[in-house]
Amino acid sequence: MSKYILQMNHISKTFPGVKALDNVKLEIEPGEVHALIGENGAGKSTLIKILAGIYDADPGAEFYFEGREADIKKPIDATLKGISIIYQDLSLFPNLSVAENIFIGRDSNSNSLKKVNWKHIEEIAESALKELDVQIDLNLPVEKLSIAQQQLIEIARALAFEAKLIVMDEPTSSLSAGEVEKLYKVINNLKQKGISIIFVSHKLKELFTVSDRFTVLRDGKYVGTYESKELNEDKLINLMVGRQVLYEKNKGGIQIGQTVFEVKCLSKEGNFKDISFELKQGEVIGITGLMGSGRTELAQAIFGINTPVTGEIKINGESVTIKSSEDAVKKGIAYIPESRKTQGLILEQSIINNISLPVLKTLRNAFGLISRKKEVDLANHYIKTLDVRPALPNLKTGKMSGGNQQKVVIGKWLSTKPKLLIIDEPTNGIDIGAKTEIHKLLRKLASEGMGVIVISSELPEVLAVSDRIIVMRHGRIAGELAIEEATQENIMNYALLGSKVSKENKNQGKGKVIVESGVSM
Amino acid sequence: MKSILKSKEMSIALIIVMLSIVLSFISPVFFTFENITDILKGNAVLGILAIGMTLVIITGGIDVSVAAVTTAVIVILGKILVFLPDSPISIVLMFIIAPLIGVILGALNGMLVSKIQIPAIVVTLGTMSMINGIILYITNGQYLNSTSFPKIFVKFANFEIFGISILIILFALISIGAWYLLKYTVIGREVLAIGGNKESSIRAGINFDKVQIFVYGFMGLLAGVAAIAQLSYTKAVDPNGLLGFEMQVIAAVVLGGANIMGGRGTIIGTFLGVLLLGIMQNGLILAHIDVFWQKVVVGAIILLAVTFDQIQYKRSKDKLAKIEVEA
Amino acid sequence: MNILKGLSKESVLGLIALVLTIGMCIIAPGFLSQQNISNMLFQIPEFGLIALGMMVVIVTGGINLSITYSAALSGVAIAIMQSHGYSILISILVGLVVGLLCGFINGFIVSKIGVSAILVTLGTMTLFEGVILTITKGNSISGFSEAYSLIGNGYYMGLVPLSLLIFVIFAVLTAILMNKSKWGRNVYMLGSNPIATLFSGVNTNKVLMGVYLYSALLAAVASIIMTSRYNMAKVDLGSSYLLQSVSAAVLGGTDIQGGYGKVMGTIYAVIIFQVLSSGLNLLEVPRSIVGIIMGAILILVLILNFVKAKVDEKSQKKAQQETLVA
Repeated sequence: MSKYILQMNHISKTFPGVKALDNVKLEIEPGEVHALIGENGAGKSTLIKILAGIYDADPGAEFYFEGREADIKKPIDATLKGISIIYQDLSLFPNLSVAENIFIGRDSNSNSLKKVNWKHIEEIAESALKELDVQIDLNLPVEKLSIAQQQLIEIARALAFEAKLIVMDEPTSSLSAGEVEKLYKVINNLKQKGISIIFVSHKLKELFTVSDRFTVLRDGKYVGTYESKELNEDKLINLMVGRQVLYEKNKGGIQIGQTVFEVKCLSKEGNFKDISFELKQGEVIGITGLMGSGRTELAQAIFGINTPVTGEIKINGESVTIKSSEDAVKKGIAYIPESRKTQGLILEQSIINNISLPVLKTLRNAFGLISRKKEVDLANHYIKTLDVRPALPNLKTGKMSGGNQQKVVIGKWLSTKPKLLIIDEPTNGIDIGAKTEIHKLLRKLASEGMGVIVISSELPEVLAVSDRIIVMRHGRIAGELAIEEATQENIMNYALLGSKVSKENKNQGKGKVIVESGVSM
Repeated sequence: MKSILKSKEMSIALIIVMLSIVLSFISPVFFTFENITDILKGNAVLGILAIGMTLVIITGGIDVSVAAVTTAVIVILGKILVFLPDSPISIVLMFIIAPLIGVILGALNGMLVSKIQIPAIVVTLGTMSMINGIILYITNGQYLNSTSFPKIFVKFANFEIFGISILIILFALISIGAWYLLKYTVIGREVLAIGGNKESSIRAGINFDKVQIFVYGFMGLLAGVAAIAQLSYTKAVDPNGLLGFEMQVIAAVVLGGANIMGGRGTIIGTFLGVLLLGIMQNGLILAHIDVFWQKVVVGAIILLAVTFDQIQYKRSKDKLAKIEVEA
Repeated sequence: MNILKGLSKESVLGLIALVLTIGMCIIAPGFLSQQNISNMLFQIPEFGLIALGMMVVIVTGGINLSITYSAALSGVAIAIMQSHGYSILISILVGLVVGLLCGFINGFIVSKIGVSAILVTLGTMTLFEGVILTITKGNSISGFSEAYSLIGNGYYMGLVPLSLLIFVIFAVLTAILMNKSKWGRNVYMLGSNPIATLFSGVNTNKVLMGVYLYSALLAAVASIIMTSRYNMAKVDLGSSYLLQSVSAAVLGGTDIQGGYGKVMGTIYAVIIFQVLSSGLNLLEVPRSIVGIIMGAILILVLILNFVKAKVDEKSQKKAQQETLVA
């Protein structure tokens, strides 16, 4: 009997065109919290999916659970063996009750006409929730719960299945700070019970708070497994990306011109209130804040999607009314949304069709019809200037990598020659090389006179691109920082507490020029 | 308690009550035992099919071939009944053959939807066209009355318990059975689960294909029972009698609050939806309103119901998306 | 097999239509007779127009179940105007306006309120049918002027059926609008991903409204041809085309989930249906069997599509793995 509850060795996975995992190993001890960490595309999710039985590993893999060879063909096999996986998008049934969501899956191998024992279901659900020390009405449909509560339901389900290993994939990505704290408590609680936890995340700070050991993956390869105490954030970043620093902080001190964009007392009920700021020519404003601070809602309101609003919006000193995204584009506003795959791009359509979409009006020939030539020229222009790869204008955008997809979206909006570009989570799901490239591009656009607003939850990113940083909290502007005085700490304090400096670390918060670690919200 | 009052079923029930009150003022006949049982009897076929359709719609599917399948079973029953002896065994045989044919035809739809992954509306359009063709080929569109059927069949069709027609009893049994199935069996819960979230159901080990085949098969089974009911009600084989009936079935289910996108729908809701359609029809007749107005009213009610439903859905979604803004 | 690979879906359908036509010429006696050919040419326009009207809606991911009843309502409006002695032009104009009004109701509820198309058009289908029934009491209305009947029965230059000419004009118009206009492009984009289209500054409500108006317009034009041809209007005018038009659009390659669909594909599918039904008719195959064959073709084509997609996927995987090894 080995000392590990889970042993995965020589795990490789080849997809058409890519080797997603190459001889990776993962060993988990009973009752430990184990962080699985790596950049986007490092292979974390692929490894988890093999563990879950969604993918088969390439031949040669060794996979032992509780000392026995694990034969996992489909997801439910893993669950029944005691491996529960909590996916980022959760696996709940919005229309079913809390109790049933906790119970579901146990009957999947039994006779279809077997009578459902509701009393038994409720008992199991109740005891699982009790174990977690939470109180939620068992009969409520899950769609009425907050994301944090839904996550607890998933954990309760794992407990109800007597899970010995729980995998949590980016569990904090949609939680508020308070909810994250509660989740940590739950995790500690599970650990006490001897349950092992694999914690998948790319947020370094939180990993140090909860994890005992780390396994680092890079580009589908195994980098190593480390005790928490032998690491610090710098070291971990180094292991993840293979170099010391993520981004350099923006130095500031640029020449700024007149005001290009201004909002005054912008409010929307249940979204944000009294938002006022100015954007000067040449500068980049970064807007940041926790989940639920209203940053994306604000951006979408300016872009005419989240309407109606009260207050005033001015472009080049001129007051404008924006009732729809069509109005916004007409007035010279471009918005690159957070979710590239559902909001930013039409994946089924070609690069050409995506880039030309907002400017079809300008691509018409003498008969008022779309000129294919103008369209192709336009697409080729941006493919060239933004170095989009592969440079195939007819390629469906769904077949491209994240970074190149983002370049297509940027190209699409540059084609509208916007006066103001709002970009929401500009480098979400993009590899590190492309990230810096996009940051450089944003700075260049601003220096050429375009108003640029960057919305991001990744503080190093905000610090790397912005000249001024607006921190939002509960739908209001909590504070504004010039880049020279901004640090991850004082931004965090605004975001969490609404003031620049927290009581305990009044003496900290002096500007560090280099951003060492990747705190994100 | 509050949630019960706010539920969709409650609002339909309220509409039914109000409509009934108005109707009882218009016509004293409305609140008679006879009239009420007439309404139920006249809508038993619609009801039985709507119950099956509820399950299909809960999974996010649709079956426009129901009327064709029902008619096909009626035609086959008509052919067989002529040769059956005048004994109770014939009724038993009828209750074996009809559902069986229905299940086979329904499962065929289910196989095409699940295994070949063709959208349900297209599959059932195709099978509907084929089945209608076959019916036309066999019958030449000819009406066949029940004079050549065994006498026991006519007895069965007229059978009543305490003055309640066998058709109503059939409808009631099916409703209760389907309610039990949805609430208390594993497969019933799986129907709701796959309609709620396909991805989650696969992760939870639910056999997605199996559930889909079951749902369409069950729809077929009820089409078989509905065929018996229709044959008993009209006492004749009319190959064109149910032409276009599928739309009414879908309308009843939608009125009953089931969501065409899947995940939502109850037997009680559908039952009320059927009742609402039936009472409306009855009311128009009692109020001496031209029968031609019926469709106008039904169409308008469907539009109002789906519009209202959508607006409510949007509101609740907006509410969920709200952020706590600091005052 | 390799030759077929390079062809688009539409060209394959065109080939099938061609082969079918040649086959029918050989096996069906009298297929090339003047009477049969003129029969076919007179039937294609009405079916074709409705199929195109259906296709445009399906490209947005919707469906228009009310299309034939909105056509019938237009027809009834024209019939009433004509029988009251109004001029052809005014009658047709009223018919078009009535049709567009039907389209507007659909478009409004689908785009502004956001109800799914299948529910809305199910409701309006019943509503329009009811309105027609209330107006006509279930009877047919006739009393068209002589000149009006020329639209559906006359020839242009004594050779080309006038109705066919109308169809060709509208087919070309549809093709240009869908492929070359800003609106048409937006229709495809919206069908692929309505949210991303909205986020691209497109007024998706307007685009959707346009789709339902255009669908109703094509239906109204079809109803002009039908009423003129049959010399009457009644509630089930063209109702058999409802499901056939969905079949034709899907057989023509239109993706029922939206985002793809070509005018040419739909026209080929209409031709295939027409040639089959005329040819089988000449071969003295009962009409009922024709219905069975139509249904079977629809399902068969979809099964073939499914199998082809699986095979393509496999060969793609294989090719990629080979390049990976190399």
